[in-house]
Amino acid sequence: MLSNVVPSVFNGLVLGAFYAFVAIGLSLIMNLTGTINLAHGSFLTLAGYLAFTLVSKGTSFWFALLLAPLLTVVVGVVVERLLIVPLYKRDPIFSLLLTFGLSLIAEEVYRLIWGPNGVPFSAPGVLGGGISLGFMQFPTLRLFIAGVLAAAMVALALFLWRTRFGLRLRAAIQDTEMISAMGTNTQLLYMVNFALGMALAGLAGVLASGLLGLSPTMGNALLMPAFVVAIIGGMGSLFGSIVGGLLVGLAISVTTLFVPAANEIIMYILMAVVLLIRPRGLFGTEGLFG
Amino acid sequence: MAQTLLEAKNVSKNFGGVLAVNDVSVKIEHGSIYAVIGPNGAGKTTFFNALSGFYYPDGGQVLYQGRDITTMPNWQRVQLGMSRTFQTPSIFPELTVYENLLIGVQSQQKIAFKLRLPSASRKKEIDAKIDELLGFVNLAHLKDRPVAELSHGSQRLCEIAMSLSVDPTIVLLDEPMAGLAEAETERIMRVIRDLHDRLGLTVLFVEHNMRVVLSLADHITVLDRGAMLAQGTPSEISNSQAVREAYLGQEVLNRV
Amino acid sequence: MKNRQMQGYVGAIISVVLLAVLPLKMGSHSVLSLMHLDVSILSEMLLFGIAAMSVNLLLGYTGLMSFGNAAYFGLGAYGAGLSIHYLNVNFIEGALIGTAIAFIGGLLVGPFLLRRRGIYFALLTLAFGQVFYFIAYRANEFTGGEDGMSFSRPYFGFPGWHTDLHETTFYYLMLLVFAAVLLGFWLIVRSPFGRTLQAIRQNELRVRYLGLDSNKFIFVALLVSAGMAGLAGALYGLLIMFAAPLMLDWQQSGDFVMIMILGGAGTIWGPIVGSLIYVIGKDIVSTLTQTWQIYIGALFVICVLAFPRGLLGTLLYAIARRDVGAPVSEEEVAHKTWEHGGSAGTPTGAAVAAAEQKES
Repeated sequence: MLSNVVPSVFNGLVLGAFYAFVAIGLSLIMNLTGTINLAHGSFLTLAGYLAFTLVSKGTSFWFALLLAPLLTVVVGVVVERLLIVPLYKRDPIFSLLLTFGLSLIAEEVYRLIWGPNGVPFSAPGVLGGGISLGFMQFPTLRLFIAGVLAAAMVALALFLWRTRFGLRLRAAIQDTEMISAMGTNTQLLYMVNFALGMALAGLAGVLASGLLGLSPTMGNALLMPAFVVAIIGGMGSLFGSIVGGLLVGLAISVTTLFVPAANEIIMYILMAVVLLIRPRGLFGTEGLFG
Repeated sequence: MAQTLLEAKNVSKNFGGVLAVNDVSVKIEHGSIYAVIGPNGAGKTTFFNALSGFYYPDGGQVLYQGRDITTMPNWQRVQLGMSRTFQTPSIFPELTVYENLLIGVQSQQKIAFKLRLPSASRKKEIDAKIDELLGFVNLAHLKDRPVAELSHGSQRLCEIAMSLSVDPTIVLLDEPMAGLAEAETERIMRVIRDLHDRLGLTVLFVEHNMRVVLSLADHITVLDRGAMLAQGTPSEISNSQAVREAYLGQEVLNRV
Repeated sequence: MKNRQMQGYVGAIISVVLLAVLPLKMGSHSVLSLMHLDVSILSEMLLFGIAAMSVNLLLGYTGLMSFGNAAYFGLGAYGAGLSIHYLNVNFIEGALIGTAIAFIGGLLVGPFLLRRRGIYFALLTLAFGQVFYFIAYRANEFTGGEDGMSFSRPYFGFPGWHTDLHETTFYYLMLLVFAAVLLGFWLIVRSPFGRTLQAIRQNELRVRYLGLDSNKFIFVALLVSAGMAGLAGALYGLLIMFAAPLMLDWQQSGDFVMIMILGGAGTIWGPIVGSLIYVIGKDIVSTLTQTWQIYIGALFVICVLAFPRGLLGTLLYAIARRDVGAPVSEEEVAHKTWEHGGSAGTPTGAAVAAAEQKES
């Protein structure tokens, strides 16, 4: 029994970490600019495909793991500057629809370039196999992914809580008008913030493609759980996203073991229960969002 | 002795640990013009918002005609007979003056939820009521103009008319003179006096202009840094040593 | 005012006559066949128009960012499909059951949405919409799962009197339904209730301080919207004799929102104009190229960036600009504020939220 439950709980936590990762990127963008980025999944997929292409052109996996997210950041920032910036002052429905249109375009473009079906993209041999922890085997790839995600989250937290720019960013999320009145360059804040979201999506994209299989719709499959995680954790709370992500991952893995048919519904049930008890989510900040 | 209409008992409100209003008690009698005055940051508006249900106080009680309404939703208070205005006029900017008042009159007539257009006789009744309100605040000539196009002063008058459209017993006015030119201030002062003299309403208003307060109000509470400094009639307030020293400054009173 | 109203009536009559003669044969070809179109595409256009109107009631008139109306649309289709397949009901019963199921869906989801506004509202509609998607997807013994379920179209009428609907009669029936829904929508928007909804979009706090429980209005608007979307979905299911999870999906919701924006949010005729562009455009493009999704996506992007008022909205705005000072019709008023962000992003919206928070 234990040998069955422990790995699946671990797998659930890794999956949950992915959700949390995507949710944090979404939350950053949503909190600062009011943009619900429906193209977030498309950028995630893009990073996966870029890494795939880089590796198939002969670069090492490690280099691709670094370069593909960076390229995604560049593409993302260009899209933000050209298309999304003009919408920041308008009703949020417009940026929602614009990113929706972009995701439709992206999905088709990926199909054209990389084909409609999944492409094989696996991590290098070092990450294959498993590491024995005495009582059971842990797959190395998942351990590695968990390590990278955890390290990236720590890095993000350090950036937001330990640098001047991070401080400004967090202050701006609380009150955009005050920050611009203080003379901070809001456009720069928006751009860096979007870039951060893209970097998280990019990293998640490369890591996820080894685990979930790389296909044109991979990103969108992660998008909706990420929204749910953001709602459960409480919009505006990065810590909430992490807790929400792990909670959802755990719930999914446990449900898969015992009631496999309900493993997709479970997170919505969790969301409904959390909202009934805490209408603003687990760590939701009061009054930040209507 | 007139009966108490609205009463605050030891009301407190804090924001993130800062006490914006600290243990303030006020009794507003039926038919009075009551003013709450204090410098910026004295907690006037916070106190006002706690009374009108914009948010709820953290401590103390709010009573309306003896009934505890401390945590009653704002829309229910309006139905009881308390209506209010805001520092920045709260209106429907793209609707015309007529349509702005219509929303209120529909509410007062309990037909806002109806899916059918009002009958011809009801329509006549509604229009008559709107015309009466427009006449009261002198905006009849602007009836079909979108409110967004009106001057600040006219927007405020429109808002006052809206707050009257629901047939209140007491009207709460939050800094009704804020941001107005001298001539417009006079206009609003006349309207406030009319609310009391002609319509027989009880008025509570928040103001920082001492001259306005002393000439309009019959009862005054002075707030300073969230706490009560003095309470009484205009003459008691203008003679209060505490008020003179702590807040008003000699020359302001001498000018009155 | 009278003149404007007359224009509206004339426009309505012309549109209905045009829509009525479109499928008729002229010589050996119908107007449609000249464009290589099938008459069922017109039915689809009308039904998507109704679905977009259901979004319009929430987004265009009440200022609520609803991104989950496909859930009700799909519930309608499944409600009709399942009741026909398992209970052998007739056409009218199937359509009514579908509508009722969607309405119940709205009753279940509504309470979760009520106290939320702005992007939080949008996010919750998006997430709750997916619940039904996964239920349909997972209950495959019952619903056919991912592949969807086919069912036959039952007779139209009553047990005593009935007829089978072929594509053209189906279309005329849809035209009738559409006209009825449009009329109903128009009456709602002009009614005291509809005016209050539009007031909520502009300044919810003031509505509350006029003694009205805005949440009650919003809840009823949600239910009406769910019912409308459900009716459209049920009839759409009867049109294509099929129900599939994708009808419930958030991408389908996005299409409905986009259709409404394409035509003009907060206008009575906007959704059907948008539906005309979207449904016919998609049909034509998808016969020309495999990669039609790119063009639809590009259409969305261009519309959002260049024509945020939509086709009809831009036109009405130009007319309103031309005769400034003339009394403004409900449609134009609804539209104007709509574009500037409604109550969601304004300080008053936040204030309402703060007040609500304390209340809950």
